[in-house]
Amino acid sequence: MKGRLNLKIAVASAVVVALALGATVGLVRFVLSREYRSPVRSDQAPQTPRVTAEQDAAAAKTKADREKPYVEDTYRRFPVVGSRIAVWVLAQLHLLFAAFVLAVPIFALIIEFIGWLNGDKRYNELAHEFTKLLSVSFSLTATFGAFLLFMLVLLYPKFMSYLMHVFSPTFAPYVGLFFLEAFFLYTYYYGWGKFAPVTHLLLGLGLNVVGTAIMLIANSWLTFMTTPAGISESGAVVNTWAAVHNYTWMPINIHRVIANVAFGGSVAAAYAAFKFLAAKTDAERAHYDWMGYIGNFVAICAFLPLPFAGYWLASEIYAYSQTLGLQMMGGAFSWLFIIQAVLIGNLFLGANYYLWLGMGRVQASERFQGYIKFLLILIALCFAVWATPRSIIATVSETRAMGGGSHPQLGYLGVMSAKNTAVNILILTTYVSFLLYRRSGRTPTVSWAKLGNALQVAISLLTGAFVIFLGIYGYFVEAAVRIGLSVPQVSSVLFAMISVTVIDVLMYRNAKELGETHWGRIHPISQYVLIFLAVTFTWLMGLMGYVRSGLRQHWHVYGVVRDTSVDAFTPTLGFATQVVSVTVIIFFLLIGFVFWLASLSSHEREDA
Amino acid sequence: MTVPIPLRILGLTVATTAFYTLVGQLVPQKEVHPPKEAELKKDMTSDQIVKAGQEIFEGKGLCTTCHTLGKSGALRFPDLGGIGSRAASRKPGLSDVDYLAESIYDPNLFIVPGFNPGMPVINKPPIGLSDQEILAVIAYLQSLGGKASVTLDSKVWPIAAAAGAQ
Repeated sequence: MKGRLNLKIAVASAVVVALALGATVGLVRFVLSREYRSPVRSDQAPQTPRVTAEQDAAAAKTKADREKPYVEDTYRRFPVVGSRIAVWVLAQLHLLFAAFVLAVPIFALIIEFIGWLNGDKRYNELAHEFTKLLSVSFSLTATFGAFLLFMLVLLYPKFMSYLMHVFSPTFAPYVGLFFLEAFFLYTYYYGWGKFAPVTHLLLGLGLNVVGTAIMLIANSWLTFMTTPAGISESGAVVNTWAAVHNYTWMPINIHRVIANVAFGGSVAAAYAAFKFLAAKTDAERAHYDWMGYIGNFVAICAFLPLPFAGYWLASEIYAYSQTLGLQMMGGAFSWLFIIQAVLIGNLFLGANYYLWLGMGRVQASERFQGYIKFLLILIALCFAVWATPRSIIATVSETRAMGGGSHPQLGYLGVMSAKNTAVNILILTTYVSFLLYRRSGRTPTVSWAKLGNALQVAISLLTGAFVIFLGIYGYFVEAAVRIGLSVPQVSSVLFAMISVTVIDVLMYRNAKELGETHWGRIHPISQYVLIFLAVTFTWLMGLMGYVRSGLRQHWHVYGVVRDTSVDAFTPTLGFATQVVSVTVIIFFLLIGFVFWLASLSSHEREDA
Repeated sequence: MTVPIPLRILGLTVATTAFYTLVGQLVPQKEVHPPKEAELKKDMTSDQIVKAGQEIFEGKGLCTTCHTLGKSGALRFPDLGGIGSRAASRKPGLSDVDYLAESIYDPNLFIVPGFNPGMPVINKPPIGLSDQEILAVIAYLQSLGGKASVTLDSKVWPIAAAAGAQ
């Protein structure tokens, strides 16, 4: 009985255990089926073979590539500094080297020609020395030009596409002329002393003609951007020649030729100054003193008529658009011309100071030194007038005290009448300084010397008085009359300079020498003045390049192609001057390299 | 110790450029941005149109580049102070609105005595004001010494003439 009971209990227990186990397994399976499982862990998810997946992805990419629509980039962004700064610096560097390469052959050829005429070999050697600076500068010009072109195409593709649409007929002649320039330049330089003199002079002439032609073509592109012509209202080309020969093309051509010569002369003078300071012998010092003098003479001769070329350019800008002209002189850029006045004032001061220091190398020049203080006072006064702004940034109380934005008295010096007068007197004064230097150590022997002197003084004083009279008269007449007064002011100064020079040349024929000119005997500070002048000329070129280009403001081509980039605004003058300064320092580091290479060439000759 | 010549020249170059940069920082600093578009709506009141016209006059229209308001003496272009009160009598046969519209759309048809022609066409680039914007400017000019009468629906010369011809 007990055994049967035990069996029943065992069977029941087994059933209960089996049921419990079954329930436990069922429960566990139920819980597991509800647990989260990642797809990776899942052994139930359908798998795509890796190869198939890669094939699918490649097919999708091919399809997307095939169907990708063409979208023309309007702009691309240059990293860190942005596109505008990159193109600005490159363009300026290219233009500075180009200006130098175009200018040096002009005066090298003239000096060589003078040497050929008078048979003085020193002139020939001097011209050769100037051209030594050319070959490396030419390479740098071409390198910066190519770099600039790549950057323009890369960063401003749509705008460049438009320029190509307008100017495509000019590209092939440009490239052809560039090859010709390389031919003439290297033949002129390496052929020195190896050709007949006339042949060599003709090579130099060819170099100048081709170089100028290249500049004329490039000028058409950039002037078109400011004063477009020859196109329809929508910008389509109607007449390519009209696009080339736009309002500011010829004024820029003339202005650039003159400015290039002034700039090139000053940089060549800086080279001579560098060589003078490093010279070991008196003979070297004498040579480089003379070279510096000639370089500076070239620079100042070109600098004196430059404001007149500037007037013409400005008047053509006004003729094209009064709005553009007024934005330049009375709007966003008006204060830029105060900075320009500081630069030009420094150029006049420096140029006169160099001439006065130069009198030290001429015996018997002391008799003219008494005049220097009067010339200095005159220059300082004109400088002050030119740098006087029309409106002054002042506090509210200061403005109330002045009765407006302009100073009650000094404000009158800030207008165009006063500034035109000041610059004309500055030019006349610098000319008188040169005249005094020219007369140092000589006295005329012609019988009419007293009359000649009196005539020269009378012409100079009367011209000065006439210029001042017109300046004052300008305050009392209508705008239409006042604008025209700059023409007689400029004409009278030009007349005075030409007529006094003619009298002087005739009067000092067969003049008696009172003392010798000792080249090399000049205070070393004069050489730093030459370098200061070169830096100032370069900086001025950079500043005026900025205003010429910036004048368009938010237009690539004024009134035709609008600038819609992130740079479509005119930066502050402070920012612009920083960019100009950086460019000038880069240029001088590079031109220092050119000077060094030219020095190596000199050493080679000396060693030989 | 003597400073090497190249270093002296570099020092002079840097000092000169630094001086000119300093001069550049001393003058007034202003960034010039492209003019903003004025918002013009059909339901604007006269005062709102005048205000919008003033914004266009001083901004996108670039009028203040040449014209002054309330200045006398040797001026380059006519002063527009009080133009609203004298526009109607400037040119015989033209109302103030027509005279102002003609001066804007075709400025060389009448030149104020004593001044040279020089006003650009402002309904085409680079200034490129729309007809509506020109109406707002006319309203503003009328308000200078007078009362604005034009609305954004007004048909002024030469639009009125063109509409009449059709």
